Amino acid sequence: MPQIELHNLQFAYPEKSFNLNVEQHLFSDSMTAIVGQNGAGKSTIFKLLTGLLKQDAGRITIDGVVLNDFKPSERLKKIGITFQNPDDQLFNATVKREVEWSLSQVNSDKDQNAARAVEVLKKVGLADKSDENPYDLSLSERKLLTIATVLAVDPEIYLFDEPMMSLDWPSKRMVTDIFRELSATGHQVITITHDMDWVAEEFHSVTVMEHGEIKFSGTPRDLFGDRELLQRVGLLPPKIMELAEMLGDSKTYLSPQDYQNQNIVQ
Amino acid sequence: MDEDKRIVLENLNVRYSGMETSQLKNININTPIGQIIGIVGNSHSGKSTLCRVLAGIIPKIISATISGTYTIAGRSPMDDWTAFNTSTGVVLQNPAGQLSGLADTVADELAFDLINQGTSADVISKRVANVAAQMGLTDQLRQKPESLSGGQMQRLAIATAIITQPQILIMDDPTSEMDPVGRQQFFHWLTTVKDTTVFIVSSEIDDLCEVADSIWIMSEGELVSQGSPQDVFNHLSPEWQIPTPTVYQMAEKMNWRLTGDVFPVAAEELKEAFDATN
Ligand SMILES: Nc1ncnc2c1ncn2[C@@H]1O[C@H](COP(=O)(O)OP(=O)(O)OP(=O)(O)O)[C@@H](O)[C@H]1O
Ligand SMILES: Nc1ncnc2c1ncn2[C@@H]1O[C@H](COP(=O)(O)OP(=O)(O)OP(=O)(O)O)[C@@H](O)[C@H]1O
Ligand SMILES: [Mg+2]
Ligand SMILES: [Mg+2]
Repeated sequence: MPQIELHNLQFAYPEKSFNLNVEQHLFSDSMTAIVGQNGAGKSTIFKLLTGLLKQDAGRITIDGVVLNDFKPSERLKKIGITFQNPDDQLFNATVKREVEWSLSQVNSDKDQNAARAVEVLKKVGLADKSDENPYDLSLSERKLLTIATVLAVDPEIYLFDEPMMSLDWPSKRMVTDIFRELSATGHQVITITHDMDWVAEEFHSVTVMEHGEIKFSGTPRDLFGDRELLQRVGLLPPKIMELAEMLGDSKTYLSPQDYQNQNIVQ
Repeated sequence: MDEDKRIVLENLNVRYSGMETSQLKNININTPIGQIIGIVGNSHSGKSTLCRVLAGIIPKIISATISGTYTIAGRSPMDDWTAFNTSTGVVLQNPAGQLSGLADTVADELAFDLINQGTSADVISKRVANVAAQMGLTDQLRQKPESLSGGQMQRLAIATAIITQPQILIMDDPTSEMDPVGRQQFFHWLTTVKDTTVFIVSSEIDDLCEVADSIWIMSEGELVSQGSPQDVFNHLSPEWQIPTPTVYQMAEKMNWRLTGDVFPVAAEELKEAFDATN
């Protein structure tokens, strides 16, 4: 399992309206969710992890190597990202070219890249859109296309910034299956999301950001079991807990299934 | 029936220019104004297309062939779009694409429509401060709109839609990037605006069931179901691939039913079904 370490990481945008400050943090789980309020600094940390923004101080290392010491093509094989707004990363004339372009950054064999592009577009359900202009796709299709571009390169670490945004339920299931497969095959998946039900059901590890700092790192059960902490960082528990609480039960539940398991005497 | 107080769509068909088949097929609706209508459906089912028609963006800005009729409180955007447009607040699915591009700060972006409507400076500054506080943007008022985070941008899009206090709100997936507390507060706020018709597309089924008077389900360009949340979610067809709300799932697993043998879909109904069983 690849490891990402942050040491005394500091960053501020030019207007200094926002400061990120992480003393020490280790990402080492196969599937981690990053949660936190709007403006907490979640997307900013992803931009620092991929070198899109440069920290003012401190250090990011991947498996002990300083991020900036990787050659660009090496770095792309280590760590890949899909952005929150797909329009920030799509610029080629066709869907297929978009995927092939990502691949060309790490591999110069055009035939191999073309074959790989077909494969990943099929995987995300965009095979029949290969020749369309990404600009003509719907928002959900553009989100899926960004996932295809990073799957094609197959880095060791995947960063997904709100991957489920605007997807419908069948697509959400498909993406969840892709994440499970990645995490089961030795990759590290780190996902930013606002969907607490999904975090509770699918993730082993959750990291909470607030005001540019990491305020919690642990299991969903520990996070959602700590109401005082949730309140402090401005988060809500999964819906099932809110409902149980209304019925006078303040135990920790991660899904309706979990509620049934704990409340039906066999 | 009193046309002045109803939303009426009759045999509405919409086909975008250059397309061979219709994207909206034979939509029929006759429902009162002043309610919250939740619109649900999978990708490509026509939700955004329906929003564009409801807002008059189709055919005024995006060209398409329309047949059938659409009136809300007796008025149609096809008759006088300018007048219609001033009574609507619209949030598009992609909030970044909705910025005017003309404002240097969030505060200016918020004031934009009010200035165009000739509102006095006093009223403008009060409304900007209020709506910014409501949407959690007070600390961002001096920031460049383009530099906002995704969720802040979405909050701004909602704020600009509601600042003119329109009678009709048309919102296409307005909370997809919002944090849980912001999302909850926004849905709660919807229930407090009186005499406003709200059309809201959302995949947040739990929230819709708490606030919506009526749910419309779209599938492949057709309106396949409409009714109260309880009615609609107790009669889903597997074909639509739409999940049930968490309340329903919990009640189903515990076998907590309401009279009439239906499952609850909102928190208060859940309490009722729970009390009846326990
Ligand atoms: N401007 C356009 N020109 C031509 N066809 C379009 C246009 N916009 C949408 N369509 C097509 O109309 C159909 C309905 O699309 P629409 O965007 O209304 O779906 P939706 O339910 O909003 O989907 P999503 O959940 O992905 O937002 C789709 O087949 C889509 O490809
Ligand atoms: N280019 C910029 N210039 C100035 N401030 C910025 C810039 N980009 C982001 N910010 C601010 O930095 C803060 C953190 O932004 P970031 O995008 O990391 O938040 P986030 O946690 O991803 O939020 P969201 O959940 O809304 O996506 C926000 O307050 C934002 O307004
Ligand atoms: Mg973000
Ligand atoms: Mg849409």
